[in-house]
Amino acid sequence: MKGETTMKTKLMRNVALAAMLICGTSAASAEGLTIAFTIHSSPSNTFWQAVKKGFEDGCTRVQASCNMIFTQTEGSIEQQVANMQAAIASKPYALITSIVDNKAFDQVIADARKAGIVVIAANVDDTEGAAGNARQAFVGQGFIAAGHSLAMAQSANFPKTGPIKVLVGISAPGQNWSEQRGGGVIKFLEEYKKAGHDISWERIDSGTDLAIVADRVGAKLAADPGITAYFDTGFWHAAVARVLRDRGVPAGKVLLGGFDLVPEVLNEMKSGYVQVQVDQQPYMQGFMPVMEAYLSQAIGLSPADIDTGQGIVTPAMVDKIMGLATKGVR
Amino acid sequence: MKRFLKIYLERPELAGLALLIFLVIFFQIRSNGVFLNAANLQGMLGILPEMSLVALGVTILMICGEFDLSVGSVFALMPMAMAISLNHGVPFVVAVFIGLLICALIGFINGFITLRFAIPSFITTLGMLFIARSLTVVISGGFPPLLPADIPSWWFTGFVGPGNIFRMSFIWFAGIALLLSALLSLTNFGNWIKATGGYFDAATSMGIPVNRTKIACFMLCSILAGFAGLIQVLRLGSPLPSIGEGMELQAVAAAVIGGTALTGGVGTVLGAIIGATLIRAIDNGLVLTRVDANWFKFAIGALLIFAVVANAWLRRTARGIKLET
Repeated sequence: MKGETTMKTKLMRNVALAAMLICGTSAASAEGLTIAFTIHSSPSNTFWQAVKKGFEDGCTRVQASCNMIFTQTEGSIEQQVANMQAAIASKPYALITSIVDNKAFDQVIADARKAGIVVIAANVDDTEGAAGNARQAFVGQGFIAAGHSLAMAQSANFPKTGPIKVLVGISAPGQNWSEQRGGGVIKFLEEYKKAGHDISWERIDSGTDLAIVADRVGAKLAADPGITAYFDTGFWHAAVARVLRDRGVPAGKVLLGGFDLVPEVLNEMKSGYVQVQVDQQPYMQGFMPVMEAYLSQAIGLSPADIDTGQGIVTPAMVDKIMGLATKGVR
Repeated sequence: MKRFLKIYLERPELAGLALLIFLVIFFQIRSNGVFLNAANLQGMLGILPEMSLVALGVTILMICGEFDLSVGSVFALMPMAMAISLNHGVPFVVAVFIGLLICALIGFINGFITLRFAIPSFITTLGMLFIARSLTVVISGGFPPLLPADIPSWWFTGFVGPGNIFRMSFIWFAGIALLLSALLSLTNFGNWIKATGGYFDAATSMGIPVNRTKIACFMLCSILAGFAGLIQVLRLGSPLPSIGEGMELQAVAAAVIGGTALTGGVGTVLGAIIGATLIRAIDNGLVLTRVDANWFKFAIGALLIFAVVANAWLRRTARGIKLET
């Protein structure tokens, strides 16, 4: 609890710092500030458009020259490494990157640091954190903690008596963000079991396509009608909500929860099929690294970690959030 | 008896059909009867028409001697164009028409460039794969629009049949499959397609309009892919720009598993359906039998090689059967 308060205070301080910077120096500009942002995702992934918007808004605020580089294939690490190498060759002041693998990026990040480039991890970090490679800070969600928070919040809706059967959908097996979120969920389930509850769980490779997730998880639910809850490590459980509705299963019979606030999930929260969602504030993940790069160049401050949140969103909060989500800032 | 055996061994989709029957029985036993239960069938029959419609278009184009790798991207572009039109107040029917028109245009461009500049359709449509996907993201502005709540989705996705096991999409798919089957086997145009793909020089000498036939097949392929995308988006309620990624290779795999020859001229509508059904059955069956889904692509790859080898062997065996006249 104390840790959570400290984290919130830290986050607030960082946000306030950025706000002060923006409001106080409306003409803030950074002479020759160039920033490259490389990620492991393709432009067709809706989630990243909110990060991109935050990144571009941040760059506009400080008049930096910025470039966000997507991969052509979703989740392609080799393409991302190649993009990073190309970005380093153009000698930006700062390189922002997601780190979805513990080893693949070590050398290229070390090369960037050797070339004097500020390197900030965003969205996904090495599972070993700062010890994993030479990046200077991480701006994003603590995935294990977020998975843990999600499962804990959903557990309030678990039936009082067992057996409770949980399906954990790993959207992208082998990728840090998905494995860690799923790991966080399972970590809580283990604690819940130790507390004396009759609970069991199973992992499934659920996929990152709505139609495939609907088919695979739908098949599991057909095979085992006793499943109590499904956790997705992304937002693809929106498709599972559709399957349940189509089968005439009432909202709440199979509990659904996952990550990220995309309009599809918010709609399903309104309909009652999704009970809990974790928000990692993607806009902030794009915006704050730019501010850190600006502060580094302007006054020599070192980039620092920012936890963009494990905010639990419930259906009661949806209406307020819906407008922001469709604008791409939440 | 020999004549009967020879006729059936020459059917290109036979190996796929035999494998499908075997796998259905296998998965039904391994899943303790869940594989063919109503809820699971309802799920499979939801996604099957979408995959099959794409495979049908690709199959007909392959029979005509060409490839289309842009179908996965067209699958996403059509519903995105429709969704954006709807959000600008365009009536549903007109929005669907606009989307299909865009698909037809893409098919025409694919065919025109391939034939006009005499480049392999593999290359043309590979380029179009990137162009159409990029257009989908660009027109969505990165943030896909929500579908209006009052559109008549049930025309395509409403449940029908005993126990609501089928969707309207299945009826559309069955109707289109029948029409295409009739087109291939009962019309001059069907013969032109086979002749253009299998005996190009002879077809040209006979005065068959080979270029127009190919362009028509390219357009048909794109329209079917777009129509399948429309059905999926209406089913799932979400026009995400990422849908259909990788579908082009699954569609080609479905066509080949169903007995379509890579060299053109040979293939059937039934074969494409069997190929698509096999792919969906394997994905679904692996989940139900608790096999790690990471094996899915391995299974499809093995199946693809098996089907091609088996088809070649069946054809050789059929040729070896001598009939007394």
